Amino acid sequence: MNHQVSLAAAERAGFTPASGLSTGPVPLEPYRSAEFYALERDRVFRRAWLMLARIEELPAPGDYVVKQIYPCDLSVLIVRGADGTVRAFHNSCSHRGSEVVGTAKGRSSRFVCPYHKWTYANDGRLLGIPDEASFFAVDKSSCGLAPIACDVWEGWVFVNLQRRPEVSLPVFLGSFAEHFKGVSYQAVGTPFILTAELDANWKVVSDAFIESYHIPAIHPKTIATTFSSGANPFGRLLDARLLGPHRAVSMYGNSGYTSDPAARVEQLAFSAAAAGSVIAAATMDNAAGFLDHPAINPTGSADWSMDVNHLFPHTQIDCGPGGFWTHQFWPVAPNRCHYEGRFYVPPARNVRERFQQELYFSRVIEVVLEDLTNVARTQRGIDGGGKDFMQLQDNEIGIRHSVEQVLKWVAAETVAEALA
Amino acid sequence: MSDALLPAGFEALEPFLGRWDGETGMARMAARSTATMAEIRAFYDVAIEHAEAALAYLDRFELDALPEDAARLLRIMLGLVQASMAIEIHGQARAPGAPWPSGVTIVQGLQPFG
Repeated sequence: MNHQVSLAAAERAGFTPASGLSTGPVPLEPYRSAEFYALERDRVFRRAWLMLARIEELPAPGDYVVKQIYPCDLSVLIVRGADGTVRAFHNSCSHRGSEVVGTAKGRSSRFVCPYHKWTYANDGRLLGIPDEASFFAVDKSSCGLAPIACDVWEGWVFVNLQRRPEVSLPVFLGSFAEHFKGVSYQAVGTPFILTAELDANWKVVSDAFIESYHIPAIHPKTIATTFSSGANPFGRLLDARLLGPHRAVSMYGNSGYTSDPAARVEQLAFSAAAAGSVIAAATMDNAAGFLDHPAINPTGSADWSMDVNHLFPHTQIDCGPGGFWTHQFWPVAPNRCHYEGRFYVPPARNVRERFQQELYFSRVIEVVLEDLTNVARTQRGIDGGGKDFMQLQDNEIGIRHSVEQVLKWVAAETVAEALA
Repeated sequence: MSDALLPAGFEALEPFLGRWDGETGMARMAARSTATMAEIRAFYDVAIEHAEAALAYLDRFELDALPEDAARLLRIMLGLVQASMAIEIHGQARAPGAPWPSGVTIVQGLQPFG
């Protein structure tokens, strides 16, 4: 499915009917069931390509990062070899299974297991076994770190936990890759990174980040006047499109937003900001290939706040007037989620920019705190079991599509079937 | 070079040092999140009156080469940003319903003093 629905079309028929999705109630069991959670882990997170890093985290040979795949309790070592190739491995020693690398990132030509000092090259080969003579003819060539399928698309590093992935990364990305080909991401080297432990199913959190219907209610003082206005009081979407298992929505922004004169810190911070918006972290000097990319602000609206580009299953790459940022929603338990946000901003060049960025990110954290309270409340309500279905409106199409796709992957015997 | 804690003209901010000029974003967020509204208001009312002058004073320095008294002044201005979350946005110390500790962690902050 690859539907783009223009706002004009949506005014006639709505995004949802025009996309071919059902308009009926959507089940809540996938948000609370332990059985469904186990299926989701095995059939979604163990079969889909999972975005784990940006290539800029690994600029030079020997650079490595260690990432967690939370639902599978699995530690992944991603490393650029001396040959320049980026590879991924299970972070587990061939001797007795211990985690080999204990730091989150670094640069090293070799990795030494802390338990008994087995030593590996940064391309995964086993180099040395202390007191090798006491072992029983270990075949070192077959005892390298266990590889994990790894591929890179447009600077995004993905892994796939299937020993032999049923589909390649390009097939998995499908029309999403076509649509976002060539986006020139800005300030990729210096993310502001935020994590949160949330008492909610990962989809409850993901859902909250792909609709703007909740913003006037949950974020009345932080961002409501940026995402809604008298002309669009409920923050209806500008655009929605379904891209295979992935999706993209474009959100309304109030171009008439002005800060309250009583908000003196905000006035001071943004007095020189052209954007006049509290959701922009910076004014971009070089927007070529970013803001003028056809997939960014796809309707070309002056009243645009941001796009949410959801990469199945659990990653959102969001774009706004000030740059891009990512959200990841990792399942930890049926009713718990590990959230990580990475917000890419250029380093502050002077004190005023530093002050402005501090305000921007302090506000981002307050928004996350408002969502944190909200998602926990949502989960408690779902867990109570009084309701088996949710009613979704047209501008919540991203949620409807998300549930449809997760159900499809869980039911499908093969990945090809899930993608069909 | 005097050993004054803050540059001349900003003495009024000295009583707030040690609480509002945390070295990291987490420390400054904790300062605001655990303060009473009266404490936040007392700091905000003084700091906002000096904010424009402070930024103007700090404009003369490179961010990575701030003298210690100027660095302290910048940190207290970043503390003012935290205070503004309570004063200008929520009307209370923390976001409605938000617990403390909150479960939110800044893993990699802005530089300097992130």
